[in-house]
Amino acid sequence: MAITRIGNIASTIPDDSIANVKMANIVQSKNIIINGDMSIAQRSTSVTGITGSGYNTVDRFRTNMGTAGTWTQSQSTDVPTGQGFATSFKMDCTTANGSLSAGSYLIIDQRVEGQNLQYLKKGTSSAESTTISFWVKSAKTGTYIVALNDLDNSRYIANSYTISSANTWEKKTITYAGDTTGAFGNDNAASLKVQFWLVAGTTYSSGTLATSWESNTNANNAVGQVNLADSTSNDWYVTGVQLEAGTSASDFEFLPYDVNLNRCLRYFAISARGAGSDTTICNGTMYTASEFYGVLEVGKKMRAAPTMSAASGSNVYGVLGNAEEDLVSSVTIANITNEGVIKCRVNAAASKTQGQAAWLRFASGADSNDVISADAEL
Amino acid sequence: MINTVEKIYDIISNNFDTYKLTKTDGTICFIPLDEANTDYQAIQEWAAIDGNNIIDNGA
Repeated sequence: MAITRIGNIASTIPDDSIANVKMANIVQSKNIIINGDMSIAQRSTSVTGITGSGYNTVDRFRTNMGTAGTWTQSQSTDVPTGQGFATSFKMDCTTANGSLSAGSYLIIDQRVEGQNLQYLKKGTSSAESTTISFWVKSAKTGTYIVALNDLDNSRYIANSYTISSANTWEKKTITYAGDTTGAFGNDNAASLKVQFWLVAGTTYSSGTLATSWESNTNANNAVGQVNLADSTSNDWYVTGVQLEAGTSASDFEFLPYDVNLNRCLRYFAISARGAGSDTTICNGTMYTASEFYGVLEVGKKMRAAPTMSAASGSNVYGVLGNAEEDLVSSVTIANITNEGVIKCRVNAAASKTQGQAAWLRFASGADSNDVISADAEL
Repeated sequence: MINTVEKIYDIISNNFDTYKLTKTDGTICFIPLDEANTDYQAIQEWAAIDGNNIIDNGA
């Protein structure tokens, strides 16, 4: 409805102008989940042979697995038609486990910092309900579990959804009551895990599903969960994951790619990637005749000082200066800080002249799989 | 999985400022001394287990 008069200011404001004002004042990211449209995959778009836990492809979504078969995980372009999504997260079973161990589990989760959850008022009488919505598709129909796991207070709530039709995208919505017990820490540590269960042995499924907040009891975690690992024909896709305050699901909040990427960069970043033999890593100087030092900038402040990983191998790196290149196989990264930019000491053995300027690059032994990365994930 | 952990010292100040972590798959990474870093937390838990020792070759 158009506003036609505000106090003594008489004018007619078109509806679309009001909409623009409203948009300008909306607090971005009502979605607690980061990268819910699965558009960012900095590490890789496909990883095979997954049997254990870790971050593999789509940013912020972690695989947690034990004795649950072997999987290929990928960023897929298979998406629900007409919903605006371009990518999804896919798990594809490549080695089945039809006889689960009691302790078998496969969970896809996202961990959320406590300081991003304070507005949920958890642990107070005003605790907010939350609602998760997502699109899902699988070759295996049946019951699946989605849970909220409060890491600060060891509390847990879960609910189930049903995949009704095989190989068909379906939208699911689950509302969780607010929890009046146990506040989230107001810090940068993981306070909440949003968990999509795919496999659960009896250790996690022999009790009664925790459909109300309760002290975390393994047996009540994933009661009724199908075994998605029981056939190599099985797969599971998800996209459009949104967790928000309230008892209803709003439309998925699409963010511009750069905004989405920037949110992911708080947790993981590629500082340099080998691409041919001329990829710059950093400038520096020869501190001694045999040691190069440079400052490697990742680009932004991260959640915490990050773990730096650096590829190694024959002739992966080159130290250039004085019109020559010294090839080295590894670098040492130290003095890692987190004050606006990541400053690292890159120490690469080389044979030059003390005080000579030089630069470090990926050399002939490197390919696009060789990276220097910064990881401050939860 | 952690295979070995080694202390890295600054060449100028001689201060211990980083862990070098080698995983069982051969992956090498460098860990800052930041309690909020989950790999730092994992090293402390690993080092607390009898038989696991952090390599310290000094500055």
